[in-house]
Amino acid sequence: MSELIVDVRDASLAYRRTRHRVSSLKQTAIDTIKKRMAYEEFFALKGVSMQINRGETVAVVGRNGAGKSTLLKVVARVLPPTSGRVIVRGAVAPMIELGAGFNPELTGAENMLLYGTLLGRTPKDMRSRIEPIAEWAGLTEHLDIPVRAYSSGMVARLAFATATDSTPDLLLIDEVLSVGDEDFQERSKARTETMMNTGCAVLLVTHDLNAVRTMASRAIYLDHGVPKANGKPEDVIEQYLADLHK
Amino acid sequence: MTQFEQVYDSDIKQTPIISQIKGVWEKRGLLRLLVARDLTVRYKRSVIGIWWSLLNPLFTTAVMFWVFNTVFKARMPDGTSFLPYLLSGVLVMTLFNQGLTMAADAIATGAGVLTKVYVRPEIFAFSATVSSAINFMFGLVPLTLVLAISHKWPGWQFPLAIFVVACMTLFTTGLGLLLAIAYVNFDDSRSLIQIVLLALQYMTPVFYPLSVLGPHTRAVIQLNPLTSYLSVFRDVFGDNYTASLNNWLMMFGSALGMFCLGFYIFQRSWPRVVAKI
Repeated sequence: MSELIVDVRDASLAYRRTRHRVSSLKQTAIDTIKKRMAYEEFFALKGVSMQINRGETVAVVGRNGAGKSTLLKVVARVLPPTSGRVIVRGAVAPMIELGAGFNPELTGAENMLLYGTLLGRTPKDMRSRIEPIAEWAGLTEHLDIPVRAYSSGMVARLAFATATDSTPDLLLIDEVLSVGDEDFQERSKARTETMMNTGCAVLLVTHDLNAVRTMASRAIYLDHGVPKANGKPEDVIEQYLADLHK
Repeated sequence: MTQFEQVYDSDIKQTPIISQIKGVWEKRGLLRLLVARDLTVRYKRSVIGIWWSLLNPLFTTAVMFWVFNTVFKARMPDGTSFLPYLLSGVLVMTLFNQGLTMAADAIATGAGVLTKVYVRPEIFAFSATVSSAINFMFGLVPLTLVLAISHKWPGWQFPLAIFVVACMTLFTTGLGLLLAIAYVNFDDSRSLIQIVLLALQYMTPVFYPLSVLGPHTRAVIQLNPLTSYLSVFRDVFGDNYTASLNNWLMMFGSALGMFCLGFYIFQRSWPRVVAKI
């Protein structure tokens, strides 16, 4: 019996933006006095519908600025849709821009605790997981030194290991991850695949069409926020490529 | 079917303020960690640690004392010494300035996380104002010393100072959220706010007693909510017993009002703000 994790129904995200891209109070004041404030409605997403069941991986493809990351944010509940409806059941784990929440002055352990809590776990729960996470990431000896002394690979390993420590109901991935050295890449890939196979729904944004072919059970092609194709990865990629080379 | 612990439905409208307070309360573990982070980052590697953050208000007080002592000393109300009056003023203004700007900055610098993970941004603002409040508490030590030098002690009612701190925390959190929206929308708001803060500094009786002002100016200065915070604080933790019931009411009223206003407007405009950052 399939279980619906993500249900997006006819969701749109529109925002007003000023024509001249005003971003200072001074300019706004001048424009208001001269009555030059012209707004235009801008659709980042328009009429997107999709369902993801437990165990399914849905990939989103499209050009830069097509609304892929916006869709991810709408599902992550960071951006509420301006119309339509979004329902997400269960725990969500975003694996986006690893390490965004890290503070270089804090130690590895402190950052791990903070990062895990930001991702929705309780501090108590996280404290008991610090040792195992560090061990998996191969950072046990570096736990008590500030993260600013870490190499970029170590930061990425710490972030990946923390983000993937719990099994969420929904995993959000922006660009397929390739972090650390060969060995760690192998293990992180294996871990992501295990998560996908053990009944976690996955929403994947990527430009890597091979990854879409091998990993996704379905794909969506977004063009200027509008879903132009939705279905089997092969068919969706075909249409995307046809549009791309037009 | 599994029963899910958390279900997000975009159609369920959230009541402003109540849902926000609930959200912050549910994540108080995160709030505690963020406060701990603020304090650790600030004090960890500095030799004199916590006292470093007091250097600024103490130095400001020293300069102001040197400049204004001769002018205002003789004009203080009976029994009030100038130095504790000045230091308490500077400490409360530092609490306000620091809380406000750090709360707004916390949202701006937290953007990396806030645009990707669902976390209530209000928690970031709160963590900044709470750590400013903790800083302020350390400032009470030199203030007590200064009072002792003037042969005074904080009165028995000194624990009431906690109300000043609590009200200021609510006040700066609300105002800080509004400032955060301005920061994101307008690039020049950062420099403009510095001018406003400077004006506010002079419109609050930090280094002058209210009694030196003419009746019209005094009326204007008393409309400034910060004047009430100062009066109440000096009353309960100093030797200037002039806080009126009006001061207390103004303090509680402005704290509650600004907190609700800031939260309400923030809730309404955050979706548009987060799309921009």
